[in-house]
Amino acid sequence: MTRTPKTRKTHRSLLQRYAAAPHIVWSVLFIIVPLIFVAYYAFTDGGSFTFSNIAAFFTKDYLVIFWKSVKLALIATLICLLLGYPIAYFITTCKPKTQRLLIVLLMLPMWMNFLIRTYALMTLLQDTGIINSLLSKIGLGPVHIIGTETAVVIGMVYDYLPYMILPIYSVMAKMDHRLIEAASDLGCNGFGVLRKVIFPLSVSGVISGVTMVFVPSISTFYISQKLGGVDTLLIGDVIEQHYTSSNYNMTASLSFVLMVILIVGLAIVNHYTDSDEGGGMMI
Amino acid sequence: MKKFSNFYIGLILFFLFAPIAVMIFFSFNAGKSTSVFTGFSLDWYIELFKNSEILNALKNSLILAITAAAIATVIGTAAAFGIHHMKSKHLRQSLMTVTNVPLMNPEIITGISMMFLFVFVGGLLGLSTKLNFWTMLIAHVTFCLPYVILNVLPKFKQMNKALPEAALDLGCTPIQSFFKVQLPAILPGVITGLTMSFTLSFDDFVISYFTSGTDFQTLPILIYSMTKKSVKPTIYALSSIIFIIILVMLLITNREKSSYERLEAKKARAEKKRKEAIAKANKRKKQKLSTEVPVFEASSGNKKFSSYSLKIVALVCAVVLIISTCVMIGAYTKNTVTLNVYNWGEYISDGSDGSLDVNKEFEKYCRQNLGKRVKVNYVTYTSNEDLYAKLSSNAVSYDVIIPSDYMIARLASEGLLQELNFDNIPLYEECISDDFKNLYYDPENKYSVPYTYGMIGVIYDANKVSEEDIGGWDLMWNQKYSGQIVQFNNSRDAFGTAFYKLGLDVNTTDKAAWDMGLEELKKQKPLLNKLVMDEIFNMMESGEAAIGAYYAGDYLAMVDNQAENVDLKFYYPENTNLFVDAMCVPTCAQNKELAEEYINFMLSEEAAIANAEYICYASPNSLVYNNEIYKEDMGEEAIEVLYPENFDFAEKYDANCYKDLDKETKQYLNSIWEKFKTSK
Repeated sequence: MTRTPKTRKTHRSLLQRYAAAPHIVWSVLFIIVPLIFVAYYAFTDGGSFTFSNIAAFFTKDYLVIFWKSVKLALIATLICLLLGYPIAYFITTCKPKTQRLLIVLLMLPMWMNFLIRTYALMTLLQDTGIINSLLSKIGLGPVHIIGTETAVVIGMVYDYLPYMILPIYSVMAKMDHRLIEAASDLGCNGFGVLRKVIFPLSVSGVISGVTMVFVPSISTFYISQKLGGVDTLLIGDVIEQHYTSSNYNMTASLSFVLMVILIVGLAIVNHYTDSDEGGGMMI
Repeated sequence: MKKFSNFYIGLILFFLFAPIAVMIFFSFNAGKSTSVFTGFSLDWYIELFKNSEILNALKNSLILAITAAAIATVIGTAAAFGIHHMKSKHLRQSLMTVTNVPLMNPEIITGISMMFLFVFVGGLLGLSTKLNFWTMLIAHVTFCLPYVILNVLPKFKQMNKALPEAALDLGCTPIQSFFKVQLPAILPGVITGLTMSFTLSFDDFVISYFTSGTDFQTLPILIYSMTKKSVKPTIYALSSIIFIIILVMLLITNREKSSYERLEAKKARAEKKRKEAIAKANKRKKQKLSTEVPVFEASSGNKKFSSYSLKIVALVCAVVLIISTCVMIGAYTKNTVTLNVYNWGEYISDGSDGSLDVNKEFEKYCRQNLGKRVKVNYVTYTSNEDLYAKLSSNAVSYDVIIPSDYMIARLASEGLLQELNFDNIPLYEECISDDFKNLYYDPENKYSVPYTYGMIGVIYDANKVSEEDIGGWDLMWNQKYSGQIVQFNNSRDAFGTAFYKLGLDVNTTDKAAWDMGLEELKKQKPLLNKLVMDEIFNMMESGEAAIGAYYAGDYLAMVDNQAENVDLKFYYPENTNLFVDAMCVPTCAQNKELAEEYINFMLSEEAAIANAEYICYASPNSLVYNNEIYKEDMGEEAIEVLYPENFDFAEKYDANCYKDLDKETKQYLNSIWEKFKTSK
């Protein structure tokens, strides 16, 4: 039987060429165009071009708030990494069946509505909440947590910890455990194994995890609303407030600047990590 | 080491599950509180199934999530197929980058950017409702698409390239080859993408918050407005049920997978050997998988879904698509008239705790007396400014709104209200006393029918605040109670407290006066626990805060729910805000006559009393405040608080109400409020 590559090729390329078309149209209409609108509203005021909205971001009040958001998000991300990295590793050392169960358990909270979970966390942390009433019963006393930056960080860690663990785990699960054995056989101590073998192999998962925790943390407004106090206004809160007071230009300008800063940040992270792995870029 | 790691895993799981455990625990609470357990009961579960607002939101969420997931899966799978076969590396990479934008961008920006698009395009098309079910659907499909593509694309890459070719050689058409050969191979990815899309869409709050209109309220949006006030255990009950369902589902799939995998393990090992041999022979470079995205799937080993399960999945998808389309088309074309009512949260008798469900009653009334099928779509807002934002954006359409006085003046002056036809509201003349007519916000009684009125007073916890400190506004600036005071989280009321304290005119246009107010508030800021609106309920009831100013009617609700060690008391300072909330019909209304019918119904005795008893605010309706049963139900103390004796409403009102500020003052107020909030 003779093959007829040419005709088949045209047939195939018809289907293949147009299969992605709906998605391309969709992406342009509903991803790119909306972002252009953000830029449009950020650089205009009542239709005329202006830099004043953007300039407003770089005034002291906003910069203080922005810095606070960065700081809290960074702390939360770091804590998530420190808590999540070991647990991801520990899970890979379990039996496959246990591993699956643990992953299910880790994913379970993510399926619950985060508003409700945050609210429940709030009732736990309150001065009159369960934690404090237990503490005062054993005489350690009520500790004032709610309304502080600590409470906001706890909320971020609580809400986003699974986003750190799961990507790291999914990379580690693919890791060849014989490499670790080989390293220790060849005289590497525990920390050396971690630094020279495990960490480099899992770095793409770490980057995914860091991004997936940092981005929602820096832009949150619900967590700071519920768990924060008068002094924990974050950049997300300010954006949301401008939106509710229908000041679209400031809403857009703050969103625009936040987006640009994040894109630059992600690009730097990608540049300094092995871009071949694609981990950082994909999420 | 093993011991430690087990302990550590346990600790993290405890941290993640403690709040969920608390939630489940309190869903069985006999009382209303979510922090004080007063006994076991199943009341909240029963209440849940009676609560039409929650059930309706749940239904909406399911419709939206199923439709969005189905559409995203179809488009996404096709896209993955197309991307996989793309010749140009450059095009592929840039498409992937764009696809991933919703993943990398903060949700708040994705939501806001889409809102801009919808509002702008809706404006061009001259639509009255720019944000609705369809905008939400588009938004949800958009953020689900990347998850589908990132789950399906790797499956195409893992697939044996010879398979589709073989199918073609054996006489399949390209379409047959896709459905018979390729689809079964990528099915695990498709299913993961579908389920992830469903859950993400079902659970999404942030993007929905910015893209939702009023005629379609999903569960997370409802929960958001509920958590602004103190959450009732009803919503905990719903979450507990969802939690159990998910837990069971995950455990079952997990179990099925493991037994399936044992079977497959043998095959897989043999397969692997064979593949390695082929790989060697071909010296083919292994393609790198370009995904580290959380493909939360334990294994990629279960390649062979039978064509049977494939058919089932396809069938389910098709049925779901058809049903949801029918439901949507049906909802929009059915003979039923929808009346959109936009009101404050918890500002109507809604059938909970055995009260009358006023909206249901109105629907019944329409069916029986007017022969019309009417559906009341009842949506809530949290502040006058929220309402104004929605109305002025022209993105929505309401038939009845219930703003406060100064907002009525503003809406009327901007031409956003319609003149009412009082022939359709005969009860107005009969039961609204002259005290509430010709007030400044509606001097000619053209636009509004009063719904409630009231005053702001200071609420304090008598167990923490000593008697000698009370009286006047000074209590809210008292150093002794640092960290226990809450202030309004809205500019007008917060400045109001400072102005009444200083004895200034709350409606001044003098910037110097506003600056004095700002200084006064800044002095108070270090003493504040939090800026609150309806959060004050939970904070005062639980004893979290000891001092706060709020509406008299709400104080009565707080007393009912206060914790054991809390003893709430209330007083009116010498000068304080009086307000009237009134029913109006905005210009965007689509059923004006029906709206007037609704307003009249709200004035009728049964509905008005049910509302007054439920909301606990003072009523301007003579059918209510002269009713003996109402007085008895409320109790003597409550009546005293709500209707103080020897009180000349008209005179007090004129001196102390908030009026609509001119544009310049309003802008100045916004800017100094922003300053106050961001100041150290």
